[in-house]
Amino acid sequence: MLFNSIDFLFFLPVVVVLYYLLPQRFRWLLIFVSSCSFYMAFIPKYILVLFAIILIDYSAAIWMEKLEGKPRKRLLLLSLTANIGILAFFKYFGFANQTLIDFFALFGKEFKNYDLGIILPIGLSFHTFQSMSYTIEVYRGQQKAEKHLGYFANYVLFFPQMVAGPIERYATLGEELRKEQRLQFENISAGFRLLLLGFVIKMVVADQLAPYVNEIYAAPSNYAPLQIALALVFFSFQIYADFFGYSLIAQGSARLLGIHIMDNFKTPYFAASIGEFWRRWHISLSTWFRDYLYIPLGGNRVGKWRWVFNTLVVFGVSGLWHGASWTFLVWGLLHGLFLILEKPLKPFANIISTFILVTLAWVFFRAPDFTSAIQILKGLVIAQSEGPKWMDTWTPLSALGLLLLLDFAYRKQRFDVLLNRLPLVGRWSLYFVLIFALMAFSGTQKFTFIYFQF
Amino acid sequence: MVKKLFIRFLVLSAGLVVMNNVYRFFFYEKDLRQHSPEMLEVWKQQRKSDVLYFAESSNMNVRDTDIVKKSISELTDDLLPQLHFKIGAVNKPATHAGIYKAWIKNMRAPFPKAVIVTMNLRSFGADWRHSELESVLQAGVVMLKPYPVLANRFLLALNAFDNKTPAQREQEMLREWEEVKFDFPFKVPHSTVRLWDNAMANGSFLLPDGSWDMEKITLACHYVKSYAFQIKPDNPRLKDFDEIVSFCQQHKIKLIFNLLAENTEYAQQYVGKELVQIMRYNRNLLVRRYSKKRGVTVVDNLELLDGLDFSDQNWTTEHYGYNGRLQIAKQLAKALRYSK
Repeated sequence: MLFNSIDFLFFLPVVVVLYYLLPQRFRWLLIFVSSCSFYMAFIPKYILVLFAIILIDYSAAIWMEKLEGKPRKRLLLLSLTANIGILAFFKYFGFANQTLIDFFALFGKEFKNYDLGIILPIGLSFHTFQSMSYTIEVYRGQQKAEKHLGYFANYVLFFPQMVAGPIERYATLGEELRKEQRLQFENISAGFRLLLLGFVIKMVVADQLAPYVNEIYAAPSNYAPLQIALALVFFSFQIYADFFGYSLIAQGSARLLGIHIMDNFKTPYFAASIGEFWRRWHISLSTWFRDYLYIPLGGNRVGKWRWVFNTLVVFGVSGLWHGASWTFLVWGLLHGLFLILEKPLKPFANIISTFILVTLAWVFFRAPDFTSAIQILKGLVIAQSEGPKWMDTWTPLSALGLLLLLDFAYRKQRFDVLLNRLPLVGRWSLYFVLIFALMAFSGTQKFTFIYFQF
Repeated sequence: MVKKLFIRFLVLSAGLVVMNNVYRFFFYEKDLRQHSPEMLEVWKQQRKSDVLYFAESSNMNVRDTDIVKKSISELTDDLLPQLHFKIGAVNKPATHAGIYKAWIKNMRAPFPKAVIVTMNLRSFGADWRHSELESVLQAGVVMLKPYPVLANRFLLALNAFDNKTPAQREQEMLREWEEVKFDFPFKVPHSTVRLWDNAMANGSFLLPDGSWDMEKITLACHYVKSYAFQIKPDNPRLKDFDEIVSFCQQHKIKLIFNLLAENTEYAQQYVGKELVQIMRYNRNLLVRRYSKKRGVTVVDNLELLDGLDFSDQNWTTEHYGYNGRLQIAKQLAKALRYSK
C-alpha cells in the first residue's frame, strides 16, 4: 500500500482507532495483521519471504543465546548467509547473470541467460538489514533474544517503516513496540503534524519536481545545458523530498500509535563536507554500515591505505545495496572517493562544493545506464539540441522554494517540535497553508516512493 | 482530550470550507484547463449554442481525399438553418457514456435545448471498456466528481480513480473474452470471443498459394473482438447512459442518442452473418431500452452506410468519408427537426 494513496488514508485511522480500543495484550496482533495487509497490497505472495526472514532470525537469536564461542559465531554466519542469500537471489541474480553474459561476450562466447522473471520484493533490502542488525546485536551480547515471535515479527514488519526504513535497531523499535501506549493528545497532535509535513514534502515538492527530471532524463539531447543543470539540481531535491517525506509519514504514522521512530535526515544539503552529508543523509543506513561493516573492517584506526580500502568497500557495498547495477556501484564509489579526497582538500570543502559533488554523483544513481549518465553529463557542457524544448520551470521552482523554506526552519529544530513552539494563531495559520498546498498543489502523476524499489 | 480534538475538528472544517472557496476562485479553472479541458469547452459551447454535440473521434476525423472537411456536427448545423439552432461540439477520442455523464452533469444553467450523445456499439464491449486509454479518460473526470472542488483536486493527486495499468486492463479484457459465454436467442458458431477469435485466426482466409492471408485474418479477428459481445443489464455503459437520461429529464433537456454506423457490410464479409446478427441484437436492445422506455430520441445509424463510406478500410473505426458523415448528419437533422 502506498502512503500517498486513498487506501492508506482510510487504513491508518482504522488501525489507530482499533489500536487504542484493544487491550495491550492484543495490540501486537493488530500491528501484525495490519502490517501484513499493508505489505500484501503490493505482491501478496512475497509476505512469505518476510516470514522466512523472521523465522530464521528469530530462531537463530534464541539459539545463539544458548551457545558460546565458535558455534555461536557459526550460527550468526548461518543466519547472515540466509538473509544475504535471500537478498542476493531476489536482487542480484539478474544482475550477476547479465554481468556474466556481458563478460563472456567480450571474448565472443555465450553465457546462458537464466531469466527467472524475478520481481524484487518491495523494501527487501530494508527488512534484511534491519533483521540482520538484530542477530548481530544478539551475537555481540548487546541485545537479548526476543522470545515472543509476534513482537519480533512486528519489529521486521512494522508497517510505517517496513518498506523504506528507517532501519531501526531492536533496542529502540522493539522496545517501543512492546511498551504499553496510552492515548495521549501529544502523540496524536505530533503524529498529525509529521504526517502533514511528510505528505506536503512528498506530494507537493517531490512529485512536482519529478516530471521535469523524468522528461530530461528520458531525452537529454532535446534540452539545453541550463535545463539539464536544473534537472540535476531538481533531482537532488526530488530524491531528498521523496525519501524525507516518506520518513516523516513513517514517523507520523508510528507516532499516532505512540511509537517513536528515529530521524533519518537532518538537512543533508546544509552539510559542508561529504562526511557531514553522510551523517545527515539516510542516517539509519549510514550508521548501519558504520556499526556492522566499517568498524568491523577496522574503521579509521588503521593505516592510510587500509582506511582508503575500507572506505571504498563500505561505499561500494552501499551503492550496490541501493540497486543491482554498475551505475549504483559507481555512485557509491564516487562518494567514497570524495570522502577520501576530502581529507587533504578540507579547506576547500563547503556547503556549495558538497552540494555540487553530491548532485553530480546523483547522475549515476538516477540514470538507467552509463550511456545515459554520460549523455547527461555531456549535455551539461555541450548544447546537444538545436532548439531546446520549452518546459514549465515555474512549478518545480516553486516546489523547491517551499522545500528550502521548510529545510531552513528544520535546520535548528525538528518540524513537529518547532511547530509546537509557535503561538496558536501562527501555528494554525501554518497548518492551513500546508493543508491548502497539499490539497491544491500536489503533483497529479502517480509516483511511488523512489526508495521503495530498494 | 475529546473536547480538544472536537474543537480542532471544527476549526479545521471551517478552514476547509474557506480553502475550498479560495481554490475555486483562484486556481480551479487553471487546473481544469490542464486536467479536464473538455469541461471548459462544454461551458464555452453552452454560452454559444442551443444544442451540444458530444462525440468521440468520429467527429474529429475526415478522409484525406474529402473536399468538404466538415465534421458531423458542423454538417448537421448546416442542415438546420431554418431552426436557428447552433450546435456546439465537444469531442475527445475514445470517450464513452461514463465520460459524457461527467460532462453533462457538470453543465451550468441555463442548460441547452438539446444534447446529442454520440456512442458507438463497440464502446459497450470488453475491447473498449478495458481499453488502456481508460485510465487517462478517468483521470480527466476526477476534477468533475460531485465533491467539493478542493477535495477533487486532492483525489486527483492521490490518483483515486480507476487507474489500472494497461497490463491489468488487458488481463481483464482477456478474462472476459475467455470466460463470458454468449447467451443469444439465436445460434452463434462459438460460445466465447476467445473460441471465435481462435477459429478465425486459424486459416480462415487463404491466399492463392495456399498460405494464410494474414491481413484478412487479422481484420476478421478484430471484428470478432470488437463486436462479438452481448450487452447485458449490468453493462456499466447502460448505467452511465441511464444517469444521463435521468439528468436530462430532470432538467428538461432533449436527449438524442446518436448510435453510430458500423461497417456491417465488412463484418458479414469477413466474419459472417452471425456477427451482424449480434450487432443487430445489441442495437435493438439499446433502441428498445431508450426510445420506448425512456422517451429518448434514438438515431439509429447502425446499418446506414456502405462499407466504402468508412475511412479505415482495414480496421474497425467509426471514421467516415464525406458521404458517410453527411448521411449521419441528415439523420440527426431530421431528429432535431422533429423534436423541436
